[in-house]
This record gives sequence, C-alpha cells and structure tokens, in this order.
Amino acid sequence: MLQRFLDPSVLASISSLDLVAKTVVDGFVNGLHRSPDFGFSQEFAEYRAYAEGDDLRHVDWNVYARTDRCYLKRYEGETNSQLLILLDTSASMGYGSTKVTKLDYARFVAASLCYMANTQRDATGLIVFDDEVQNYIAPSTRQGQMFRLLHAIEKAEPGTHTDFTKPFVHFQNFLHRRGIVIVMSDFYEDPEVIVKTVEPLRFHGNEVILFHLLDPQEIKPTFKDPVLLYDMEDTVHSLEVSPEYARNEYRKRIDSHIEALASKVRGAGMDYFLMDTGRPLDEGLREYLQVRKGRL
Amino acid sequence: MGFLTPWFLAGAVALGLPVWLHLLRKHKTTPLPFGSLMFFEKRTQSSIKHRRLRYLLLFALRSLLVALLVLAFAHPYVRQTVLASKRAGEVHILAIDNSLSMRSGTRLQQAKTAAKAVIAGLGVGQRAQVLGFGSRVQVMSEVTDDHNSLNAGVDAIEAGDTRTAFGELSRSLRATAQSLKLPLALELYSDMQQTGWPANFNDLRLSAGVQLHPHPIDAKEIPNFTVENVVAPRRVYDGKKTRVLATIAGFGNKKATRSVSLLLNGRVTETKQVEVPENGRATVEFLSLEVPYGRNKGEVRVDMADTLPADDAFYFSVERSDPRHALFVQDAPGSRGLLYFKAALEASGQSAFAIDPATVDQVTNVAPGKYAFVVLSDVGAVPPAFENSLRDYVRTGGSVLIALGHLSVGRAKVPVTGDAIESARYAGREGERFQTTAWLDSSHPSILKDDKWEGVKFYQAIHVTPGTARIAARLSDQTPLLLDQQLGEGHVLVFASSFDNVANDFPIHASFVPFIEQTARYLGRLDAGPASVLVGAFEELRDSKEKGAAVDVLDPKGERALGLEEATKAQNIQFNMAGFYDIRRPNGRNELVAVNADRHESDLTPASPDNLALWQNTAQGNAGEGSAAGDESKPVSLWWYVMLAALLLAVAESVLGNQHLSVDQEAAG
Repeated sequence: MLQRFLDPSVLASISSLDLVAKTVVDGFVNGLHRSPDFGFSQEFAEYRAYAEGDDLRHVDWNVYARTDRCYLKRYEGETNSQLLILLDTSASMGYGSTKVTKLDYARFVAASLCYMANTQRDATGLIVFDDEVQNYIAPSTRQGQMFRLLHAIEKAEPGTHTDFTKPFVHFQNFLHRRGIVIVMSDFYEDPEVIVKTVEPLRFHGNEVILFHLLDPQEIKPTFKDPVLLYDMEDTVHSLEVSPEYARNEYRKRIDSHIEALASKVRGAGMDYFLMDTGRPLDEGLREYLQVRKGRL
Repeated sequence: MGFLTPWFLAGAVALGLPVWLHLLRKHKTTPLPFGSLMFFEKRTQSSIKHRRLRYLLLFALRSLLVALLVLAFAHPYVRQTVLASKRAGEVHILAIDNSLSMRSGTRLQQAKTAAKAVIAGLGVGQRAQVLGFGSRVQVMSEVTDDHNSLNAGVDAIEAGDTRTAFGELSRSLRATAQSLKLPLALELYSDMQQTGWPANFNDLRLSAGVQLHPHPIDAKEIPNFTVENVVAPRRVYDGKKTRVLATIAGFGNKKATRSVSLLLNGRVTETKQVEVPENGRATVEFLSLEVPYGRNKGEVRVDMADTLPADDAFYFSVERSDPRHALFVQDAPGSRGLLYFKAALEASGQSAFAIDPATVDQVTNVAPGKYAFVVLSDVGAVPPAFENSLRDYVRTGGSVLIALGHLSVGRAKVPVTGDAIESARYAGREGERFQTTAWLDSSHPSILKDDKWEGVKFYQAIHVTPGTARIAARLSDQTPLLLDQQLGEGHVLVFASSFDNVANDFPIHASFVPFIEQTARYLGRLDAGPASVLVGAFEELRDSKEKGAAVDVLDPKGERALGLEEATKAQNIQFNMAGFYDIRRPNGRNELVAVNADRHESDLTPASPDNLALWQNTAQGNAGEGSAAGDESKPVSLWWYVMLAALLLAVAESVLGNQHLSVDQEAAG
C-alpha cells in the first residue's frame, strides 16, 4: 500500500522533506518485510560488556536487573561508522521532464538515506556542492543531526555549472573515518575526469557509490518535432535537434557514456548506480543497503 | 478539357487544409532547456532539412490528393482526337456527280477514273460504296470490299440531266451514317458547282462520323451558252401563227453573237441572230410558229459553241386541237348573262371553249355528256329529265356551273345538288345598300389568280344552305357566294348571284375575266400547265378510276420508261431525262411532255474553297470545336483516371504518413 509513495511524482506533492523520507523508508521497509530473501541490519546482534566511556543509553537495564552486570546491547548497524552524501546542485540538476527535477529526486534519495542511516544510528554527513562547496554538515549521530541534514537538503538549490575537481580536493579533508560516501550527480563530464576526481575518496577505505541521476528524457529523449535546446549550464549555447538524431545518435552516445562511466567507476573499485528519476526511490535505497551489507 | 459539374471546383478551397497543416502551422521554435548538450552535434541540421523535405513531400501528396478529389467531383472530360486514318471500320463512300454539268468536256470520265484509283488503293478488308448523285442519290453498289463490284458500280454511272443537289447527298449520308453506325469517309467527285449548294446551309450538315474529302473535277469557270427559257403556248386552238419567246443566257462568256433556231418536229422553221451580252441574257421572239393538229415537239436551239452541248436546246410541246363545247343554259334567248360570260371567256386570250347557248325549253333532250361543262344561268324550272341527265353527267365526272338569280328564288332547291334555297337577300336603300365579298378562298381553282374582287357590289344574293359543299366565297353578311359541291366524280359550282350585271356589277369588273377563265378551265378539266417541265418533275399518270389500267410512257430515247408492273400500278412518274415523254393514258388522254434540264446547271462557276471548307467542317463542328481538320473528336470522361490517381495518392500518403507516425511512436518509445 505504501509502495505507491515511492513514486517520485507522488512524493513531490509532499512538502515536508522529513515526511518524504519517512514515507519512503517506511514504505521501503514494509516492502522488505514481505521479502524473506533480504535481511535487515537494524536487528540485535550481541551483548558486550560495559567498558568505560560507553554510552549509558545502550545499557540493557533488564539484563542488569537480572544479573547485576552491565551489558550493552549491540546492533549490526552500529558497526558502521558514517555515511557522507555528496549532493551535486549544479544547474543541470535542475532539469526535469516531469515536475520532479533531478535535484528533487536527489533530495528525496538523500533525505531517505539520511533518515534510514539515522534510524540505524549511522553517523550521517552531507556536502552540497556545485563548482564550490555550498554547504557542509559533518557526519554525526548527535541529537538534531537529522534535522540539520534535512534542512540543508531542503535548502539546496540549483547553482551554476559542475566542477568536480575544485570541490573534491577539499572533501578529503572532511573524511577522517572510513565509511560510505555517496556521490549524487548527473556526471556530465568525461568519465576519466570523474573517476580521477572521485577516486581519492576511496583511499581512506571508504566505500564510494556514485548515484548517476538522469532524467528519462536524458536517457531516451522523445521529440516529435525538431526542437531548439539550450544547455542549462551554458544558456548561450543552443542547438536545434532533430527527433531522428535524438532517437539514434544521442542514445548511442549517452549509452556509451553511461557504460564507460560505470565500467571505469567499477574498475576503480567504486560502486556505480544509474538512477532514472522516473522510477521509484527504493531502488536507490536498496543499492545503498546492499553495499552496506557487504561491509558488515 | 472541360468539366461536367464545374461547381464542385469550389471545393479547391479545401487545399488550404494541407497548406495550413504543413506550412502555416509553425513548428515550435521556443528553446527548451536540457541538462547538457555535450552529446549533441551541429550536424543534426541536415537531418532536420531531410525531415522537412519529407514533410514537404507529404504536403505535396496531401495537396494533390485534395486537388484530385475536387477534380473528380467536377467530373472532367477531354475531347479525344481520333486520327482519320486510324478510325476503325471506316467505310469509304465514293460519290460521283452525274448531273448535267458533268457532261461538260470529260468531267464524268475524269471523276470515274479518280474514283477507280481510290478503289485500287483500298486495302484488304477496307469497305466502300459507290453512289451516283444529281438531284437524287443512286446507290450503285453495296458496302463491300470487292473491288470488281465497286468498279462495276462506277462504270454503271451515266451522265444525267438532273441538277446537282449537295444537300440531298448530305441528307443521304446522314441516313447512311445512322444506319451503318460506322465512320464514313466521303470521297466526293464533282465539279463543285456553286448552284448545287442548297439555300439553307444547314442542309449540308454531315454527321459527326463523316469525313468529307472533296475531289474537284475540272472546277473552273468555263464560258457556256444556254437557252434558258422558252415561252410558248401549251395548246393552240386555231391555225394562226403563234408567238414563241426564247431567252438565251451566257455564263462566264464575253459578248457574242449567236444564232438561235426554232424547230418544230425536228424541222427548222426560223433562225435568228442574237447578241448575248457579257454574263447576260438576250431575248429572241419567233412569230412564225404554225402548229399542225396533234401533239408537236417544239425546240429552240442555240448553235453549239461550248463544252456543254446538253443545254443548248430547250424543248417545248404544243398541241393543236379544236375548241371544246360548253352548254350555256339560260331562261330566255339573248340574256345578258350569256353576253358577259362569253365576252369574259374570249377576253382570256384562249378560245379553248366554244359556248353553245340554249334555253331551258331546248335542253330537254340534250345529252350533257358531249360538253366540257354546263352552265345554268339564272334558270327557273329545269326539265326533270335534263336535271336527271345532268346529275348522271356530274356523277361520271362532268361539271356544272349554276348562277342563281331572281328566277331561282321561287325554287325551293338548287338544281342538281338539291341544296335548300332559304331566301333571297336584297340590299335595301337604307343600311348597307350593297354587299361586298368579305372572304375569298384563294386556294380554290376559280379564285387562284385573283383573290381580291375589289369594288364589286352585290345587290342581290340567294342564300343557300351549304350542306357538305365547300364554300369558296362569302359576302359581307356571311351569305355563301360561291359553293363547290362534289357529286360523284364531278363538281357543281353554285354562284349565289347572276352574271347579268343586275344583281351585281361583277361582270363589269376586271376580276370577272380571270374568274370565268379559271372556272371554265376548272370545270372543263383543262390543265393550264406550262409547255415544258424541268427534269425531276412528277406527272400524275392515273386517277382513282383508272386503277389497274396500263399507262404507256415512252422516254426521250423512245424506250418504255415503266416496266409492265409499274405500267399498271404507278400513280406518277418522275422525269429524269431532258427531251419528250410520250404519255398514253387508258382514257385516251395522251400527252407529250417536254422536259428540260434545270438551267442552274448551265452556270459552271465552282463553289468557293471557303464554302467547301465550311461544309467539311460541319462534321467536325458537330463533334466539337478546335479539332484538326480530318480528325474526329469525342468527349472522354477522366473520372476513372482521376479517381485511380487519387486512390494511388491516398495509398502513398498513408505509407508516408505512417512512416512519420512510426518515427514519432518510436521516438516516444
């Protein structure tokens, strides 16, 4: 029943981002319960003896009452250190053939991931960037982190053009612990450049996932008539495009771009996931969980 | 090209639809945002042009389809020209003129030679027919491809004396074209005389399938002299010398002196010189004609000096006989009626009748059968025996003229006819004072020449109940004045007034003489025909009484003109040759008829080429204008072709349109 709330166009009508995130994750989780093949990492894992400095909130007071010893409840999720989401807000992310733009979709995914990570007690951080770092929220599990993240995500607006090299140099400074890094962008750049730019993030033992967000119209453009198109990151530059070209040549080119990017990214030991903004959000979440599961 | 329903062409406005769809409805040119153009290239422009070209092709197809549909509704047609040489089943009609003018020089022989050359050139299976024509068309052969039969038909054509009638030829061809229902090629061999043209050009009209190929034979103006006309009496009743007036005409001639002879029964009686002016006429008067008893052959001949001798002689017949007797019955001897009647008859110039006067008392034992006619002039009581014999006389073909005067008033009935006498009408001193003739039947033989009896006053008239009689004249008070009652084979003419200059003043008016003369001829059955007739004229051979009796007719060559069966059945005969026809009737009325060729034939001036071209064009004119001479054109509907083209276009449009649609669908997918 809640599955339909994973539809981006439905989510777009929900104004509150945290509600979107809740809806997506709850719907996703409910869906998972119906699937016996897939485990979930938020389950109880083991008891550990209390050591100094441990957070008293995790002490299982029932066990203490019975045994007079302090044990901490350990969950699987607690084994992860942090999740860092790199959200591209370049102008091209503002494109959407429907009322959901790529950036909207990215926001939903990011919010959902933050929400899910938060429920698993994962430290979650966010970097919003275009050709500069626009916003940075350091990964944390502190109270209110979730709201800060959602606020930052909500505030993200399409900026200027993308320049991976410039902001990514700084990102390495932000990463101190190993964790999962999710880069959400439309990656309109040479795959070689992208891989070279993103690769250093892996060096600290991070799992890097590239969420390649593309609008259905960008993957399979459908023009009935010849159209005049202009580049959202370079408004001066415009071209008249015939439907035949869009149908044949362009598709070949975008497909080879996607393929090249995927193979190079995977070749560099990173994960790549193509997100069609016309499809439900759970696919992105599932991808995240798979990667995370692999790290357990 | 034309349209049967041109109003549908208004549908061409629908052409605006594809124009609007393809040309006026602009494609969107508003720039659209796109994520990145890094995968697009400049060369896409050519693809757009290509697509636009295809769009234009589709536009052209659609426009053409709409135009063709409009055209189909307008029902177009064209006139298809059929070449003369390619007309299927064409029949050649070889028409050879054998009129009098073709006797000039070797014209007829030339025409026959030319026709035979055409026959020799006919291919296998090409059919032809030979016609001879003058005033009538003679079919000389069947429609056949047998050259022998066609050549025999040509050989059988003889020179005639008839007049050329191109109108008759055209009429005959129209009938032939209608019955054969095949295209005809008319090969016309003639001297193309201008005088052969009909008065109404429409008579020359040829059917659409007839092509005229004229072959003028020796068609040029040649000087020709002819005896155009002769005025001579048909009958003479005394031994006096008779006057004969001849007109000599020259056609295309220069001023010349010719000698003209009068011949009677082959002997020259008188010869005179006459000067014929250029293209003019001269008159010759002969006063020396002494006609012996019987039927005589008269002839006026001009000396032979041209290529056409056939028109140099003019024939006339003249008959010498004694005058016939007519019985004039009066109440008392020496009546004024007799005086006026006799004077009028003699004044007419011909003493064809001798009047035998008699009173009522003298006629009791008279047999009326020996008289040409009987006149009862204002008689009172007629002896019954005479009245009976008169009635029998009329029934067997005799004629009686009855003038009713004051003595008739006492009778209740008109003698012989028995019509009731109602009253006598007198014009009083008051009122009208006299009556005039209000109406005359100008078709009645008694009134034929003079149908206006002007100034004649009638003071007394006897009103007779007309019964079945034909009324030929009425007075102003509608009293019948002249009644013609047929009784058996004869006639009784009743004049409701007298001839005595008392009851009327008719006898002292000029119109009295022709009335009496015509009435005498009518009653005496004396035809007033001319001394000669034209070739082609008809003559009555027998009346209703003479059914089954043989009539002998000898033509100018002395041969019997009628076969045995025709001799007993033919009602009349047409004279086809110039000369003398000897007609011997069963009742003993023998006649010598002089027949002359129509002198229109003497004018050898050919018709102008323009006229000939106009005649040729009558066939094309029927089929439609603008076609080449010698070709036939007929309207052919293009509806099926247009619809077929529209169907093909619709298929092509569907294919091309589908291609566009599939492109769009694929793009959408």
